[in-house]
Amino acid sequence: MKLLIADDEPAVRALVHVTLEGDDYEILEAADGVEALEVARGEAPRLVLLDIMMPRLDGLEVCRQLKADPDTSDIVVVMLTAQAQERDRDQGLAAGADDYFTKPFSPLALLNMVERVRHNQSGAD
Amino acid sequence: MRRLRVQLTVLVALLGLLVVAWGAAIFLGARDAARSSASLQSTVDRVDELRRVTTGLSRDFVTMETSRRAYLLTGDEATRKAHTQAEVRADGGFKQVRELSSRWRNLAPLVQGLAAEYRAWVRTGQTELAARRDRGTMAAVAVARSGRADHHFRALWTRQSALENQLARAQRASAHSQDLTYEAAQTLAVRTALMMLAALVLLAVWLRRAVGAPADALRSASGRLAGGDLETPVTLGVENELGAVADDLETMRRRLAGRMEALERLRHLSAQVVGATSMQRLAEVVLAGLQPEIGATRAVLGAARPDGELVLRALAGFPDPGVADDIVKADGEIRQVLPLPTLRGGQVVGMADLGKVAGWSPVLRDLVARMGVGSLALVPQLSRGRFLGLLALCWTERHPLDREQEALLGLAGNQIAGALEAALRLEEAERAAGEARAVFYAIADGVLLSDPYGRVTAMNRALEALTGWTEAEARGRPYAEVLPLATDQVGGPADLVSRYGRKVPVAVSSAPIFDPRGRVVGGVDVIRDVSREREIDEVKSALISTVSHELRTPLTLIHGFAELLVLRDMPVERQRSSAVEILDASRRLARLIDDLLSVSRMESGRLVLDPRPLDLGTVVERILSPFRAMAARHTLRAKLPTGLPVVWGDPDKIEQILTNLVGNAIKYSPGGGEVLVTVEHDGDTVQVSVRDQGIGMSPRDMGQLFEKFYRVDREEVRRAGGTGLGLYITKRLVEMHGGRLWAESWPGVGSVFRFTLPTSDELAGSGR
Repeated sequence: MKLLIADDEPAVRALVHVTLEGDDYEILEAADGVEALEVARGEAPRLVLLDIMMPRLDGLEVCRQLKADPDTSDIVVVMLTAQAQERDRDQGLAAGADDYFTKPFSPLALLNMVERVRHNQSGAD
Repeated sequence: MRRLRVQLTVLVALLGLLVVAWGAAIFLGARDAARSSASLQSTVDRVDELRRVTTGLSRDFVTMETSRRAYLLTGDEATRKAHTQAEVRADGGFKQVRELSSRWRNLAPLVQGLAAEYRAWVRTGQTELAARRDRGTMAAVAVARSGRADHHFRALWTRQSALENQLARAQRASAHSQDLTYEAAQTLAVRTALMMLAALVLLAVWLRRAVGAPADALRSASGRLAGGDLETPVTLGVENELGAVADDLETMRRRLAGRMEALERLRHLSAQVVGATSMQRLAEVVLAGLQPEIGATRAVLGAARPDGELVLRALAGFPDPGVADDIVKADGEIRQVLPLPTLRGGQVVGMADLGKVAGWSPVLRDLVARMGVGSLALVPQLSRGRFLGLLALCWTERHPLDREQEALLGLAGNQIAGALEAALRLEEAERAAGEARAVFYAIADGVLLSDPYGRVTAMNRALEALTGWTEAEARGRPYAEVLPLATDQVGGPADLVSRYGRKVPVAVSSAPIFDPRGRVVGGVDVIRDVSREREIDEVKSALISTVSHELRTPLTLIHGFAELLVLRDMPVERQRSSAVEILDASRRLARLIDDLLSVSRMESGRLVLDPRPLDLGTVVERILSPFRAMAARHTLRAKLPTGLPVVWGDPDKIEQILTNLVGNAIKYSPGGGEVLVTVEHDGDTVQVSVRDQGIGMSPRDMGQLFEKFYRVDREEVRRAGGTGLGLYITKRLVEMHGGRLWAESWPGVGSVFRFTLPTSDELAGSGR
């Protein structure tokens, strides 16, 4: 399964890499919002992990654009952010995000979530 | 001066003499009259007696003649007897007549003649009678016919008649002289009375002139005085006791007029001092008002502060106002010689001849000489027993105060006290009003005052700036026009719409203004521009986001990699890289916490430097090496001239400064390039510059560059991360070292951050 991790923090991208390593995932990376949109549109990943605070284009906007575009609206978007306030979460869900992970997050919980998405996809197929 | 008494005494004496004379005259007159009257009476009586006897004699003569004749005719014995009896009586009568007439000499010849005739008559008669008796009738008739007796009788009768006539004349003369005596007495009495009357009239005239008219004049003069007319002089033009009284009255009038004039001047002074609202004016007015009265030419006015200390407030009449400084300088010495307890008691104190007062310090003597003051009168001002101030009136020469001047100054002191109190109160009120006005206009919040009808009465500068209205334009306009507020809910946040349509978020608090009786006389609105607070709120919330993000990111890594290490089997190589990630994240977390703590310590003043001499070159090289190891895309270079002076600084902090600047240079030049650290020696300071070839900044971006939590609003910056504390901390650290930090930058070209540090010349010179 193809998934995209968009975060301006290389270490976070590395963490996601390590978490999902060895489970047959194709992991794409983007360091800012614009890059994330490009990759998502070009590679059509099944899942996008989006950081909110990113340079050039923030995660919420990326999510909105992905959900607004019929080509990419099927992509499961999971917000991954350091902001923990209710408001951020509501904003994220309002932007069309499917789920919400607050930093610090548990890599295993993330793995479970990703597994679930893969199974849902398999089930749907 | 005793003339009136003398005159009066003389007059009374004269009058007494007159009375005595009058009495004497009356007495003497009366006595004389009485006397002459008595002698006259006896004369008259004698004459009467004489006449009576003479008449009796005449009758006897007739009886004798008739009886003789009868006898001669008849021879009747009875008739002879009758003749004899009559003869006896006539003899007796004659005797009487002789006695009585002896007093009057002029009668004597008459009486003697009469007597001779009588005797002749009697002899002839006797002869006839004897003839009748002896010879009978015939003889007798013959004798008778001879007629001798008749002849004698006729002669006798003639004489008798002459005597009687003489007596009658004498009687009439007596009566006439008696009348004359009475007349003389009457005349005397009347004349004396007239003289007395004249004397009385004279006395009255004199009294009128010497006493009456002056007394009237005195009466009218005293009446005028009593009626308050002090203008008309009191003069009598007489030189007696009344004149003296008049002179006394005149003296009294002059004094009273003088007093009245002084009082009038005082009243004038009091009217003027009431108008004198400043201390300076008060001193001048008082001096001008008192100078004509007492001759003082200079005045010093001091007022008591609320704590009772006397402070110089005004000078008047001094040619050189610079003496004020001298007085203030000698304040302590003056205080020592002022008789303050007496003055506080309200007593005017005169100090004549200051040059000779004993026990004064040279400073005071010098001061008195410079002020040109010979004598002083200290006039305390008390109001309801409270000591308000002191007026010192100065004479250039020696001038002892007399009682009158002292009393006048005492009165003047009361007048001045009232004015001084008013002036002090006014000053206080003006000060308070000035303070209130200054506060009102200077206060940073907008303040608007309105009347009970909601019309603007005043607004301050801050509100002028907020609303766009000037106070002059706004005054009298309805409140709502000047202060239109757009608000969603009452009491909630409101936006003020300025005259030019600008919306400003404001917080409004309002209160009514009450007068002392509790009636609303207006309102006050305080309008606070809360845009800054809102900005700060936003900044704070952004800061919390930032800090939270910055804290959570390393925490996420630590948490994540640690969890993986614990729960997953990983190749050793992966385990190691995970551990490195954890280590990096921990460092990052620690640095962030350090930054926050630094800021906190700096702002609370708890950050203390531990300065010592430093070799900057070594420090620069030391901090560059870790960056060189990490930053693959950047070239880090240091330009360190030889012979750099030793600087004075805290090594840790200097390192922190350099690390921050070099870190920023790398962080904000994501495309790589050269980072050049230059150290230059410039006079007393050493200048360090860090130059990069990064993204640079526009002048607008640089505006708040060194402010806390400020971050340039650009994607590259956001991507670079950071708390917005680095440059703030750096600048504060440089400044704590006595240096300066500034930046130059060009967008897309790069930035240069420069800072200076003071050199430590003496330590450098010590050969270290």
